[in-house]
Amino acid sequence: MTQQAGKFDQEARRKGVRRTAWAVGAVAVAIFLYSILSMLKLS
Amino acid sequence: MAHAATHDHHDDHHGAPTNFFTRWCMSTNHKDIGTLYLIFSLAAFFVGGSFAMVIRAELFKPGMQLVQPYFFNEMTTMHALVMIFGAIMPAFVGLGNWMIPLMIGAPDMALPRMNNLSFWILPFAFALLLSTLFMPGGSPAGGWTMYPPLSLQTGSLAYAVFAIHLMGISSIMGAINIIATILNMRAPGMDLLKMPVFVWSWLITAFLLIAVMPVLAGAVTMLLTDKYFGTSFFNAAGGGDPVLYQHIFWFFGHPEVYIMILPAFGIISEIVPTFARKPIFGYKAMVFAIAAIAFLSFIVWAHHMFAVGLPLGAEIFFMYATMLISVPTGIKVFNWVSTMWGGSMTFETPMLFAIAFIILFTIGGFSGLMLALVPADFQYHDTYFVVAHFHYVLVTGAAFAIMAATYYWLPKWTGHMYSETWGKVHFWSSVISVNVLFFPQHFLGLAGMPRRIPDYNVAFANFNMISSIGGFWFGASQLIFLGVIIHAVWFSKKKATDRVWEGAKGLEWTVPSPAPFHTFELPPVIRDEELAHGHVED
Ligand code: HEM
Ligand SMILES: [Cu+2]
Repeated sequence: MTQQAGKFDQEARRKGVRRTAWAVGAVAVAIFLYSILSMLKLS
Repeated sequence: MAHAATHDHHDDHHGAPTNFFTRWCMSTNHKDIGTLYLIFSLAAFFVGGSFAMVIRAELFKPGMQLVQPYFFNEMTTMHALVMIFGAIMPAFVGLGNWMIPLMIGAPDMALPRMNNLSFWILPFAFALLLSTLFMPGGSPAGGWTMYPPLSLQTGSLAYAVFAIHLMGISSIMGAINIIATILNMRAPGMDLLKMPVFVWSWLITAFLLIAVMPVLAGAVTMLLTDKYFGTSFFNAAGGGDPVLYQHIFWFFGHPEVYIMILPAFGIISEIVPTFARKPIFGYKAMVFAIAAIAFLSFIVWAHHMFAVGLPLGAEIFFMYATMLISVPTGIKVFNWVSTMWGGSMTFETPMLFAIAFIILFTIGGFSGLMLALVPADFQYHDTYFVVAHFHYVLVTGAAFAIMAATYYWLPKWTGHMYSETWGKVHFWSSVISVNVLFFPQHFLGLAGMPRRIPDYNVAFANFNMISSIGGFWFGASQLIFLGVIIHAVWFSKKKATDRVWEGAKGLEWTVPSPAPFHTFELPPVIRDEELAHGHVED
């Protein structure tokens, strides 16, 4: 198996992972809250 | 990677902790966590299977034979919950964990510690769920869909809801991890449109999970507050609406059934080209079809509710939207067949399961189309016809794909070949018995036998007895599966080559068998002709 060294930036990868994880996680939490809050009928 | 030069010879077992607890309980390694998921799933498959045996034993003859009616209802409910959340979904997560990093040339999942947490939540969630069986008042018994007001009568509802919350959190974290891995961890040169179809199917599935698991969590949370905190989300007397629950549940539920079949589509799209020794026909169409199915799965949920009395316009909309799904699904089936067409095929066990999948899943798709017809569904709804439908798509669909994947990748995981003879015995025994088990249920449903009942009219006796015989036979066949796996892991002497299958393409086959503890610590050089799909023009 040939491997290639360098050519990609470990730190940029970490940053990308963190950004994706937070964005996707936030969407999940938002959908959870919305699913309940949108059903509330306070009178 | 400052010390890259010293890392050239990392293709051995260096790095796997020798301490059992450290290795398995504290693992951050995608392969070990994948293995844990797969073992968990197999255990759940047998637990859920034993519940099914109770159901089929009771239904062997008309009349009440073995169990109390409430216990029977507990069995149908728990069978579904264990199979869906314990067997099928964790199996796909396990396969994804093992194979996605290998397929895209990544050293591991993007978030390895979260990966550990995602898995280790599951045993606790299931301990909680299964413990309700031993509680006074028993486990949930109102069906896996937990419709109120019935489900609100369950004493152990809070336990079940909390278990579902935990499984949901586990799935959401798993999905975040998979999305982050695929979007960020691909080796340079592994463009999105060069990824194996299995990886694509998981990427899309992960987005489905993110979109609908929180909705399920919301739905069961509202059940909880309705029961314990005096709210009236689903209580008509308090200004709520029980049908609202059904809408929310199926907004989750229908995409959920696709969560259980899209990774299966991915698996079949890997196996068929390997054993036909031809690249997949219409790679881009396959990816597009998965995306189209995922999109459509959000606008068909009310086909589970045709009989509750929806406005006519809604019935018609959901009927046509549902039928539309057969278009991308048909594309997939045609493309698998076209991939085989003119190929030089061999029929090892993974390919046998894949071909059975294509045929039998399609039968399930056809019965789904019949159910999608509003006037017909008034007759079929809540009968054994529905039971037959979803077992064709879930057992001969999802479960067969998981078995195919197990045979396909087991040599890569263990470094040993499984017994081809016993694999074939398992296949033939399963494929015959599963049809004896489920095909007669179509006739029972058409004749009007309702689902979820412990006793039935004597008119249904013959087909039920045939179905039960098929059930015990299918259950017993899975012990062969267990035997084949145990043999391959611990006893097989036949070493697997790196490529394992003559026609196999893709990065996962360039690493040794068994796949070393660490792979692709430095990204591999991608050569397009080595990929399963890379240089395919279409
Ligand atoms: C061709 C595509 C499909 C169509 C048109 C279709 C249609 C339907 C319809 C109309 C129902 C409701 C029947 C009723 O309750 O009266 C149903 C039930 C069901 N389907 Fe499908 N389906 C399709 C594919 C699938 C797939 C791929 C899966 C899972 C892998 C699946 C799993 C289920 C399950 C689990 C139920 C029963 C849910 C319950 O009531 O407990 N279906 N399907
Ligand atoms: Cu559906």
